[in-house]
Amino acid sequence: MSAQDTKSLWADAFSRLVRDRWALISLVIVIIYAGIAVLATVGWGLPDWKTSQASEYLPPSSQFWLGTDLFGRDVFAKVIHGTKIAMSVGLVTSLIAIPIGVFIGAIAGYFGGWIDDIISWFITTFSSIPNIMLLISITLIMGKGLVSVYLALGITGWVGLARLIRGEVMKHKEREYVHAASAIGGGHFRKLFIHILPNVTHLVIINTSLQFQTAIKSEVILSYLGLGVQGEPSWGTMIDDARQELARGVWWQLAGATFAMFLVVLAFNLLGDALRDSLDPKLKGK
Amino acid sequence: MSTRLISLVFAFMIAAVGCSREQNFDEKVLNLITPQKIKGFDPIYAADLYASNEIGKVYEGLLEFHYLKRPYELTPNLAESMPEVSADGLTYTFKVKKGVMFQDSKAFPNGKGRELKADDFIYSIRRMADPKLQSTGWWLLDGKIAGLNEWRDKNANAEKVNYDEAVEGLKKIDDYTFQFKLTKPFPQFLYALAMPFTFAVAKEVVEHHGQEFQNYPVGTGPFKLEYFDNSNRIVYHRNPTFREKFYPSEGEATDEAAGLLADAGKKLPLVDKVIVNIVVESQPQWLNFQKGSADLLGVPKDNFDQAIVGGKNLHPDMAKKGIRLSMVNALDTTYVAFNHTDPLFKDNIKLRQAMSLAYDHVESNKLFYNNTATIAQSIIPPGISGHKKEYKNPYIGRNLEMAKKLLKEAGYPDGKGLPELNYETVGSTVSRQQGEFFAKNMADIGIKIRISTNTWPELVKKTNTKTAQMFGIAWGADYPDAENFFGLLFGPNESPGSNSSNYKNPTFDKIFAQASIMQDGPERTALYEQLYEMAGNEVPWIYGMHRTSVTVYQGWVKNYKYIEFNHTQVQYLNADLEAKKELLKKF
Amino acid sequence: MTTYIIRRLLYMIPVIFGVSFIIFVLFNVVAGDPAPLLLGKHATAQQIHDLREQLGLNKPLFAQYMDVVKSAFTFDFGRSWATRQDIIEMIRQGAWPSLTLTIPAFAISTVLSILLSLVVAFYRGKGIDLTIRFLCIAGQSISSVAYILFFQYFFAYKLGWFEISGYEPEFPMFLSYVALPGIIWIVLSLGPDVRFFRTVILDEIYQDYVRTARAKGLGEITVLLKHVLRNAMIPIITYVVIQIPFLILGALLLESFFSIPGLGGITLNALNSSDFPVIKAMAVLSSIAYILFSLLTDVLYTLADPRVKLK
Repeated sequence: MSAQDTKSLWADAFSRLVRDRWALISLVIVIIYAGIAVLATVGWGLPDWKTSQASEYLPPSSQFWLGTDLFGRDVFAKVIHGTKIAMSVGLVTSLIAIPIGVFIGAIAGYFGGWIDDIISWFITTFSSIPNIMLLISITLIMGKGLVSVYLALGITGWVGLARLIRGEVMKHKEREYVHAASAIGGGHFRKLFIHILPNVTHLVIINTSLQFQTAIKSEVILSYLGLGVQGEPSWGTMIDDARQELARGVWWQLAGATFAMFLVVLAFNLLGDALRDSLDPKLKGK
Repeated sequence: MSTRLISLVFAFMIAAVGCSREQNFDEKVLNLITPQKIKGFDPIYAADLYASNEIGKVYEGLLEFHYLKRPYELTPNLAESMPEVSADGLTYTFKVKKGVMFQDSKAFPNGKGRELKADDFIYSIRRMADPKLQSTGWWLLDGKIAGLNEWRDKNANAEKVNYDEAVEGLKKIDDYTFQFKLTKPFPQFLYALAMPFTFAVAKEVVEHHGQEFQNYPVGTGPFKLEYFDNSNRIVYHRNPTFREKFYPSEGEATDEAAGLLADAGKKLPLVDKVIVNIVVESQPQWLNFQKGSADLLGVPKDNFDQAIVGGKNLHPDMAKKGIRLSMVNALDTTYVAFNHTDPLFKDNIKLRQAMSLAYDHVESNKLFYNNTATIAQSIIPPGISGHKKEYKNPYIGRNLEMAKKLLKEAGYPDGKGLPELNYETVGSTVSRQQGEFFAKNMADIGIKIRISTNTWPELVKKTNTKTAQMFGIAWGADYPDAENFFGLLFGPNESPGSNSSNYKNPTFDKIFAQASIMQDGPERTALYEQLYEMAGNEVPWIYGMHRTSVTVYQGWVKNYKYIEFNHTQVQYLNADLEAKKELLKKF
Repeated sequence: MTTYIIRRLLYMIPVIFGVSFIIFVLFNVVAGDPAPLLLGKHATAQQIHDLREQLGLNKPLFAQYMDVVKSAFTFDFGRSWATRQDIIEMIRQGAWPSLTLTIPAFAISTVLSILLSLVVAFYRGKGIDLTIRFLCIAGQSISSVAYILFFQYFFAYKLGWFEISGYEPEFPMFLSYVALPGIIWIVLSLGPDVRFFRTVILDEIYQDYVRTARAKGLGEITVLLKHVLRNAMIPIITYVVIQIPFLILGALLLESFFSIPGLGGITLNALNSSDFPVIKAMAVLSSIAYILFSLLTDVLYTLADPRVKLK
């Protein structure tokens, strides 16, 4: 497979992706969320969530679209600002988990032998420990806060991808093009990173979109366990607050955070599916 | 194909709905909720509130707090009468009631419960000191009963702890009489005998069950355990061999009008069966109560504004169902502690005062307690002698100008030069919100706060190793004596002892050491009040609130009265089945 | 095949070493000190020291680690530090409620999603395919906490269709308690399951043998059920079986909100109270289950597809 072929494969995939209306809408949603997240980080033009503007627990009205919270803060503004945490959790955990998964999986699959034995042992050991124990212990070591959330979700998220990549690389290294590369004197790393990895990139892309949405959802679980983000609005802490609120009829905080999350997770899911359909060589042209 | 499956799912759901439990009107049953898994029934580990509530249903002690009288007053329970105390305050002679029987158990010959004797108390109290068992109540007796520490130390490395050897301070006079001999005056000693730690267990049962003893409680108490799954449900029924114990016929002045004397003179317990469900999450607790399937619900102290409107009244929807509300000052104090090993706080009283002045108590009371709490002026809650009503803490009550002035004098004008401070708290939703509120307040005078949430073990570890810089926490009374609170600021109790803020003040320590061994009386009260003011002015902590205990209970529950030390309460409660039938129609 | 199975069983040994090492480092070395926690708010330094001695926490780390390994291999986990209960007994008691919740929910969601994915594969690209997939994915996109809070409030409390919380160990009583959490489980699993099964089935549909079968004049449904499903079985089995060990651990959130006294709650409690022996026991058991079930997957491979040889 030459570079030319690879390029046309991507172009083809992209054009198919754009033709899929739902995928396009999803992509737009993700971009909007990302834009809001950037604005929230920079601090431009978004409603203020910090100050108490009214009394506590006001129901939704024309002034406060999603009512107010315990401190009389605007829930809608909190939902908007929560985008920042959600998107950054998705992004950073992917940036941690994906490279680890790809690297470990590729090394194990390519070299085989005792390297594979050790890595497989590690993967098995790691994945047989319940995730919750790893998550909690990481926050025990790192202390609480955003960094721990990133690390906890990143470090537990690579296993599935590593296993997948390992299998794919194993298949590919027996293919002709790799043999051809050895024949012209390509070293191991050249073969692995220049020749094989580009052919498994679609797996990485699909996995990233799934990793993203898993991370966003996991942030809620961490908040429930009291390990969430402090001092900034996040959808997880908002949903956690709702544990005390729903029974007294305060539903807006739960509804707002859930809906905001629903939309972006759904978009990532649909996008992931569309990416798979358009990138998976096996499904190509069908 | 899939329709068949969907109908299968529906069949499953309908089957599920069909077999719910029905309310039973044949016997008097109380349905209670406890928010924590129950560890077990061994009295010597009764340190946590929820386990001690269960222990108190099966086991009994020499004394108990009177169910109705306030301020809290000790009355004899298994003791025939209050003890004779020698003139030097060191010897206490107790007579045990005759004819009190342990519940039937296979640990006894023929399975029949035997009579309770003085020996059982001597044995039970020695179990608290047993070095192999590490009772969580040992602090109550540590260094206080003659010969007991020596016995503990001697047996610490022994193969088997020797219970046969006599201990000087625990002396049997005859089968029904025994004596405590103390090493020094300890006026709080009698309170210890009303706490579940010292409740009477039978040696045969302990030895029969060995390590499983905690799952097979056999006491002399009003209820007998029928079913125990420590993470699901506990079921008791009336103990058929319970002695003649009667509902009190006198109480506070208002009790008569409140209907609390209607059952005066009736034999206890008043209900036939008690079911305690373990429900951890607050939403299902609350929904179960609203549905009528729980009779009584202690609303978590930090979280009760669900039930109440305007800080006083029950939500009208609940009032319509006949639900009633009890709100009583609890004997507790919330606070944000400074770590006094941190040079930042140790010698800088002005910084502490500035921060205290920046805290908005009024708003906090409104947000977190719906205006039901009392703002703490110092460490002792009202209702305990030593609390001085007239005292108004000059550093409590928000005053930003003055706070800024003090902060400047402290060397940090507008917070400049002060590093970001670390506020440690536990990870619950409300604690987190309270932390956010604290940080918000401090930001107003330029102090930056970083909130760290912890699991309880982490927070304990941090305070024990003196690494928590500031932490938000609360203290509830073990017994109604100011000594129990002042001890938290007593230098020698520093971490890992109960003085987790490591506060040290020689004057305070001297007065405390003197007052803590005095018998109750005007002299001691005067010293206590002196300590109270000192603990206020010195601002060793930022005091928060004395919270209100809020309980909601169904209209058919009779004789409910809030009692801080409530492990004996359930035997006094009654259920009106006729009223229940009527009221349930409104649910 | 026997030698293969034996070899895989022996593989458990290094994995248990690894698991106990990770758990030991994470929880014994860095986590909170259990002693002051167990002794309560009045503990003295002397008492803390004595209790640490009794719990074996004052031994050198290596000796402590060897104790952990020993208990992992002998299954003698001792007693919980926090509740003083016998750990094996705790697990025995907690396993039933967890399994009565997770097994039926898991079975229903698996069967349902295989059926749904056959349907969507049959109608691939058509409206019905898109609608079902969209609904499944939408269902999965809502946070589980939100489902729990809302379903409990609405279906159990407002409409009164289900018990709010609680548990009875007897059949069929437990059904009324596990029904609602079971439904939430199913709603959450349909999305990923259907998505996975659909891909697997589509992968097969485009194979040559399917074309041959169609060419022979077999109907589409027969082809789907007889040929495609059969060949898609391997990835489906892997996917399904490998989830089973985690069913044993129960469902953390569902158990705590619906007061189901299962292993999820035991694990969470242990984590919250630094109850190391319980954490260790749960980790070791789950890794053993994990290896046993991945072995089972391999064996099922050969049964589903005789071409696969285990060596």
